[in-house]
Amino acid sequence: MRHKKDLMHLAMVTLIALLLTIAGSASADEAVNPPGVAVKIDNFTFGPSKLVIARGATVTWTNGDDIPHTIVATDKSFKSRVLDTDETFSYTFDNPGTYAYFCSIHPHMMGEVMVK
Amino acid sequence: MRDEENDGTNDVILHDHHHDGIDRRGFLKCMAWAGTGALYVMQGGVLKSSAMSTLKNPGSGAAVSSGELSFVQISDSHIGFSKAANQDVVSTLSAAVDKINALPVAPEFMLHTGDITHLSRPEEFDTVDQILKAASAKDVFFVPGEHDVLGDDGKQYLERYGKTAQGSGWYSFDTKGVHFIGLVNVMNLRAGGMGSLGPEQLEWLERDVRHLRSSTPIVVFAHIPLWTVYPEWGWGTEDSAQALSYLKKFGSVSVLNGHIHQIMQKVEGNVTFHTAASTAYPQPEPGKAASPGPVVVPAGQLRSLLGITSAHYMKGKHALAVVDSSLE
Repeated sequence: MRHKKDLMHLAMVTLIALLLTIAGSASADEAVNPPGVAVKIDNFTFGPSKLVIARGATVTWTNGDDIPHTIVATDKSFKSRVLDTDETFSYTFDNPGTYAYFCSIHPHMMGEVMVK
Repeated sequence: MRDEENDGTNDVILHDHHHDGIDRRGFLKCMAWAGTGALYVMQGGVLKSSAMSTLKNPGSGAAVSSGELSFVQISDSHIGFSKAANQDVVSTLSAAVDKINALPVAPEFMLHTGDITHLSRPEEFDTVDQILKAASAKDVFFVPGEHDVLGDDGKQYLERYGKTAQGSGWYSFDTKGVHFIGLVNVMNLRAGGMGSLGPEQLEWLERDVRHLRSSTPIVVFAHIPLWTVYPEWGWGTEDSAQALSYLKKFGSVSVLNGHIHQIMQKVEGNVTFHTAASTAYPQPEPGKAASPGPVVVPAGQLRSLLGITSAHYMKGKHALAVVDSSLE
């Protein structure tokens, strides 16, 4: 009887230890990924217009103009809906590379995200 | 406005004081960037005109009353816009319609050179249709602005206004011997570029005018200017030179555009370019601000910077008289 109890106790401790380990490694992963990166659109300009980020990072664009804008990748890998004033668009860059983008409404507005 | 040296029969206002044709550049320099009325008549490809102070009543007592074809251009109504520069674009568009209805010579139709709506929303298109219903001119011919083709590649625009058009909405029609061509230069814009007509539309244009007699007066209307006003702000059309090359044979070509929300004119050989004011909000002169966004002015000043354009064609003179008038 005591033997069985000990075994169950051991199983529980092992289980708890396992869970803690999993939880622990999850927070370790979060610490490795950087926080989101912000791009502000003001006066028909993306600021900053050139970004260097780590793969897996999320970029969030916010439109500060009185005029709608869009964010469209020239290689068509991402495309926002039309953003009116204060609206945002976020995209997570999982793959490394250089992504040129522009505003499809005002094509002279251009930017670039370099993903390492 | 009467030309006092005439016999008062309201004929064409043309007085060439020096008998050598007006100095075009000098005339154009004299015009303020917005709000100044101007009457100019193109005859056989040569611009002749007289400058006038701010015109409050277009066509009053002037040549235009005997014009054989009268039409109006409005542009950039941006219904749906509601920010500091104009919190009530519906009201200013309605004021423009009132202005049209007060013209001494009722226009036969209207051209809307685009940015009809601000966000391409169905209710915005509906509102414009509702407001324009009150105009004396029942027929309206549209071309889209970049704000009219958002999110759906212009599908909605085409369903509403482009049923008989081709491609992304280009078309032509004839009336009173004048050939009107509506072009679309706001689709498939490439990064870093300006407006664009595209090869399919250019091919269509070449075919469309190929068999017309060179004496046919041509009126081209499109949203973005078909000459390079200011490339840094995208104010121009990449492939307009090719389009204009197809129109070289014609004695009189008038190009009517919008997009820049201010009045501008340019003459190049047989082509006269003209941009209309917006009925919604003004934009800065090229390079005079950080960006081409809406300009906020004191409330009492806004309507003097918005306006309509009335145009009159006088048969046999290959002339298109264009008169800009502000809302106030």
